[in-house]
Amino acid sequence: MGRTAPTYRQALEERMRRWDAFARLLTTPEERAAFELVRTGARRYAAQATYVGSPDLLESILLSVLTDLAVRLRAEGDPKPARP
Amino acid sequence: MDGAAPAPDGWLLDVTESGDGRSVVLWTKERRSGRVRRTAVEYRPPFLVCGPKADLLDLRRTLADRPNVAGVRLSAGRPSIHDRTVRPLLAVTPASHRGRRALAREIDARGGYARFVLYDVDLSVPQLYHLGHALYPFAPVVGRGADLAATEPPETIDYAPPPIALAELEVRIAGERRGRIPPPDGRVGSVRLGDVTLEGPEDELLRALVDEVARSDPDVLLTESGDAFDLPWLYRRAAACGLSSGEFVLGRERTPFAAARPARSFESYGRIHYRAASFPLPGRFHIDRENSFLYYDAAIPGLVDAARLSRLSLQTVVRQSPGTCFTAMEMATALSLGAHVPWKKNRPEDFRRGDHLVAADRGGVIFLPPVGAHDGIDEFDFASLYPHIMVRNNLSAETLECRCCPDSPVRAPGLGYRSCTRRVGLIPRTLAPLLARRLAYKAALRTPGLPPDEAMRLKRRVKMLKWILVTAFGYQGYRNARFGRIECHEAINAYARELLADLAAAAEAAGYGVVHGIVDSLWLRPLDRARRPDPEAFARRMSGKFGLPLGFEGRYRWIVFLPAVTHGLGVPNRYYGLYEDGEFKLRGIGGRRHDTTGLVRRFETEVLTLFRGARGADDVRALVPRALARADLFAERLRAGSWPRDELLIAHRIGQAPASFVTFTDSVAALRQLAAAGAVREAGETVRFVVLDRRSRSFRDRVRAAELLDGSERYDVGAYLELLARAAETLLAPFGVEHEGLLARWGAAARPERLPYRSPEAGAQTVLARAAGVAGSFNPSAR
Repeated sequence: MGRTAPTYRQALEERMRRWDAFARLLTTPEERAAFELVRTGARRYAAQATYVGSPDLLESILLSVLTDLAVRLRAEGDPKPARP
Repeated sequence: MDGAAPAPDGWLLDVTESGDGRSVVLWTKERRSGRVRRTAVEYRPPFLVCGPKADLLDLRRTLADRPNVAGVRLSAGRPSIHDRTVRPLLAVTPASHRGRRALAREIDARGGYARFVLYDVDLSVPQLYHLGHALYPFAPVVGRGADLAATEPPETIDYAPPPIALAELEVRIAGERRGRIPPPDGRVGSVRLGDVTLEGPEDELLRALVDEVARSDPDVLLTESGDAFDLPWLYRRAAACGLSSGEFVLGRERTPFAAARPARSFESYGRIHYRAASFPLPGRFHIDRENSFLYYDAAIPGLVDAARLSRLSLQTVVRQSPGTCFTAMEMATALSLGAHVPWKKNRPEDFRRGDHLVAADRGGVIFLPPVGAHDGIDEFDFASLYPHIMVRNNLSAETLECRCCPDSPVRAPGLGYRSCTRRVGLIPRTLAPLLARRLAYKAALRTPGLPPDEAMRLKRRVKMLKWILVTAFGYQGYRNARFGRIECHEAINAYARELLADLAAAAEAAGYGVVHGIVDSLWLRPLDRARRPDPEAFARRMSGKFGLPLGFEGRYRWIVFLPAVTHGLGVPNRYYGLYEDGEFKLRGIGGRRHDTTGLVRRFETEVLTLFRGARGADDVRALVPRALARADLFAERLRAGSWPRDELLIAHRIGQAPASFVTFTDSVAALRQLAAAGAVREAGETVRFVVLDRRSRSFRDRVRAAELLDGSERYDVGAYLELLARAAETLLAPFGVEHEGLLARWGAAARPERLPYRSPEAGAQTVLARAAGVAGSFNPSAR
């Protein structure tokens, strides 16, 4: 009720639809699986991105993806990210 | 209760509009005799017109001699809650209740829809009578007629419940089972009224029913689908038997054989709903359990409480949403403050910059939970958080960004909206007593040795208040809400977000890690298992720190957070868990919904019963193979073709007008079948059916509608195996269970080979999925 602006989650999904074309020209299973990780990373920190409320969608997406990757890096060897 | 209150002579049950258009009827129940008395009192309330004085004088001259106007009087006042200065007002009294809106519309048009602001137009006449005479539904009263007076105020918390005689009414068509589609000329075969069942020739039966209603004289006629079926059918048959509306009387006075409001379909929160026509009765309440959102939770005690506070008739409360009750309570507050109720909300949203909108138009904090089984988690939540925030920060349309407090320290975090510090707003004034009331009922519920019926009464009232408090927030953001304002909605969210962020930090300082959080709830895990924080003490400390009541909901033996089908990350509101006290909490799985197919419900129940024995997350994981064995057993029985048909009924809510469907689906097949049998369904209604052959293009062979089911149909085994597989996946996905794998294991055919329609843009995804299928190692949902 009463919403005018799309939620961060909606905006993110909308933007990610554009990425389908990007994924289409990835030619190896490894690349495609890695790209799927990026998508998951973009979605993982939706709560935090919503809390920031930045008008710059890409800033929020980048922060989310980078944080996800950084967590994975820190947990090197552990395939499951150590999210509390 | 105050011992000085005089013993009442009786109770005011209801106020209704009189047929003459110039009076109201008071229905009072006498304490001594238990009889209900009808008293008509002359009452024609004015509405107010506000505008430039010259225009009002002009209007007064125009209206003075009109036959549809009983009186015009010039006065002055502050009609709006926003008004700081006195304005000229014209009080216009319509000659008849029925002409009230038409007259208001005419005046609005005369003012070019801009010069005049009208007040108190669309409050019902009974509502205005209550408010103008310090009365309310179910008030204990002394005196009679125009001198009727309540012996206690409506806000009284520990009032004695009014005596209400209740009788169930159920009509059966001759030769038909209830729930089947009756033939259009189906005769009434029997009627049950309370303990009495009437049978016999139809015209005698109908007359006997009128006599029996008059003899037993119940205050409430309780039906199941009475608005959609029982009452209209009785009226139709009464007319067919030559009975007039003066002879066939079910209320306490005659009423025409017609619906007071027609049936309608409407949209709310993205869903289409259907509301049957309404058939209220004058002087006697007709309550249709099926046509009431609130009856299920609130029952008579909750509805009576809401009627008292809102000054709306029980028959109105039962058929309307909690939002209607809340709006009526706001109206009552406004009038008690000497303000009036604007007819049309005339407060457009302020202009603002795009980036401000992005910052302001946000909801609460919603985390994504970690998928899988967890144990030792403590759950906390704030009780009625949003209403408390509104009261604590004085959030109301007229107190936000007021002109009198430019330096107010009360500001919405991140947005800066100021709250007034000089006067208490309409919303907090309305909400504060409701919050106090709910707390008082909850406290009373903890009284040792409470009689069960008293406890049930209190629980119903608590539930009713909960619904009203929930809508109070939503209505701030609803464009037609009379006293709503979008900035209030935004401010409430901003305060709530800040609170949850602060609470998460405080929890960490106290030795907890945040596992999950939704708006007003947090799921916390001790950082060090050996040194668990005391949850009750933590809740108390936080309640004190934030000035808002944080409650400890309980500790989970285990909880399973479920993933989204699309991307495999956790879904905020889909989980199931077992508290240490042995109670389950289920969200977003089938068993929670009313319309879940019996098969799915049964499977879920069995899995949960199995998991009940688990002491922790490891136990749950260890039980998964046994849960899968249950699924195999279900599949075997399904294949045998002997599963009870009523457990295979699938329910679909119709999302659009039946004529506008363009694809042939199971629901469409069921709708056509029903239409062919003479039962047309509308958008928002639900159809139930058993799938017979999901590949069939014939509406007769594809499904069988519930109303036409005889129990011997052959059902589509593949369709139900798929349903079962999906139910198993829903519960067990975190443990690697996928429905495709289950179907393969049961040797069941995959979905019928009719490829879903895809837009050209979606082509890329299809290609990707196929390529991935070939590669074999690619699974988007794997984590």
